[in-house]
Amino acid sequence: MKAQKYVEWSRLDNASKIFPATWTLKDPKVFRIACELTEAVKPELLQKALDQTIDDIPVYKSVLRRGMFWYYMEKSDMRPEAHMESNTVCAPIYVGLRYNLLFRVSFFKNRINLEVFHALSDGAGALRFLQTLVHYYIILIGKGKFENTAAATDNASVSGLMDDSFGKHFIGQCGKRNRADVKDAKAYQIRGVRFDDNRMQLIEGSMSAKKVLDEAHKNDVTLTAYLASLFVYAIGKEMRARGRKYPVVLTVPVNLRQYYESVTVRNFFGFINISYRFDSDTEDLTTVIQGISERFKKALTVEQLDYQSNKYMSIERNLFARIVPLPIKDLVARLVVSKSVRHTTSIISNIGKITMPLEFAPYIRQFSVCTSAPRPQMTLCSYGDRLVVSISSPYRETDIQRNFFRVLSDYGIDIEISSSF
Amino acid sequence: MLYCPQCRIQIRGVKERCVLCGNTLSMLDPDKGKEEVFPVISPAYERHLAIRILVFISFAAVVASFAIRMIFPTDVNWPLFVVFGLVSMWLSLVVIVRKSHNIPKTIMWQVTVVTLLSILWDWQTGWRGWSINYLMPIIYVSAELVMYITARIMKLSIRDYITYAMLDGLFGILPVIFILFGWVQVLYPSVICIAVSVIFLAGIFIFQGEDIKNEWNKRMHI
Repeated sequence: MKAQKYVEWSRLDNASKIFPATWTLKDPKVFRIACELTEAVKPELLQKALDQTIDDIPVYKSVLRRGMFWYYMEKSDMRPEAHMESNTVCAPIYVGLRYNLLFRVSFFKNRINLEVFHALSDGAGALRFLQTLVHYYIILIGKGKFENTAAATDNASVSGLMDDSFGKHFIGQCGKRNRADVKDAKAYQIRGVRFDDNRMQLIEGSMSAKKVLDEAHKNDVTLTAYLASLFVYAIGKEMRARGRKYPVVLTVPVNLRQYYESVTVRNFFGFINISYRFDSDTEDLTTVIQGISERFKKALTVEQLDYQSNKYMSIERNLFARIVPLPIKDLVARLVVSKSVRHTTSIISNIGKITMPLEFAPYIRQFSVCTSAPRPQMTLCSYGDRLVVSISSPYRETDIQRNFFRVLSDYGIDIEISSSF
Repeated sequence: MLYCPQCRIQIRGVKERCVLCGNTLSMLDPDKGKEEVFPVISPAYERHLAIRILVFISFAAVVASFAIRMIFPTDVNWPLFVVFGLVSMWLSLVVIVRKSHNIPKTIMWQVTVVTLLSILWDWQTGWRGWSINYLMPIIYVSAELVMYITARIMKLSIRDYITYAMLDGLFGILPVIFILFGWVQVLYPSVICIAVSVIFLAGIFIFQGEDIKNEWNKRMHI
């Protein structure tokens, strides 16, 4: 028995705590950010780039372990391997007690995929990892051409990258409800026939960001609000008359780094709920857009985000919650989450505009993002003029996807669809 | 590139029908966008057939043995032993399969399961005391040995087995209770077991005290 070196470990941040407790094979809480290049990926160079990236962002070497009361992250000396894509999209990564890295990097033809278990990172954190990876990869491809190209991501210290930003910005005292929270009512649920093996189908539509933005601006709304409205409209068109008594509720994750100073690659997000009730079956798109946009403006305030994060923080800091053994915590978390999904119809997540050094533009075609989905969910991101909207769904029915993309193509926007099968 | 005239969208890859509406597609530009965008993943195959067969055989054996005793009565309720035997087998199997990624943990679970089952068997077969006289001391000492040897061979990191090694050591001290209450008729297996376990635990604390402290802080943080 040899003495071991001290192994670095850290507590999970506030948002990460929920994911190890609530993952299932149907929803493994995995998301993927992919970068499609203009040429086929060279595996050896990708591996080299990955080795450099992991040295820059060592928190990605973490494995998840169970303590008596909480999960925690422990640094491991496992080396990530870039491999040929051989799993279904967003296949499970963390499957209980096996100690493995919480992300995987794979490639297929021109595309580099980064798949992450949500307890490790949120979209913005994972994006930083992928940007760094692609940056190093293109430098290697360029053979000395881009040696001095500065990264598009801002400089950050290694400790800044692994900051627990929830712990830093929220004390966990939230006082009384500071605004009339939407009373949690049962939300409309999309139903369908599931694929075998818990598979989900990913349908991605790639289009001109400018053209969609022009459409949004014609209605005087933001891009996220505009696409969310189209999605709600697409869902509404498939609703049966009986479903109309329930509102369509979209959960929209919000990157808190925009509101609080942080460069962490770990989780740092809140979310808002946008609820829309179809009054009649003749509701036209403009009405939906105005309604959704108004609700966005109302919900997206710093006070509201502050209140929400403090509320979750106060649960974590509650002494009783802390001393309950982990298996019981897991059980309670699963119960609470399985109840709360009834209040949501779907999730729409925009990880925003992705920037890379201008010199790299000839090498990169587009970025895309998608999540594992217990029900149809929408994610989007843009790079240059390429906006990629992804809808992942565990159901065989594609009516919502069709409604959604047909609205856009009706406006004369060219859409290029790719489907995972 | 394929094109769906109904949806007015282009489709990458090779598809028979539109992925959105299911209608037939027309070819727009035969040279572009033919490459598959996603790999074809074959479905996961049925892995549980062997287990299903085992479950079926177990079930059939239990039913058959009760039926046979009804037809040919005996004094001993032997079908009950069939049930016990199968329960023992399944418990051990489940533990091994479920915890197989963590060998020290598997060992500890096996020790626990075998302890409980041996007491059950001994008690059901007229309490002759073989379980606490011989079996339990032997199991605890051999578990300690196996734990040490696996840790060396597999080059396990200390944090992977320290908890289970300690638990195992504590199990090994259990026979003190048996001696104090005078439950054992044969003394030497229990005495050897206690002595070995105390030495084992002392070794862990002397050589790995610092690691135990770190590990404890990590696992018990609230």
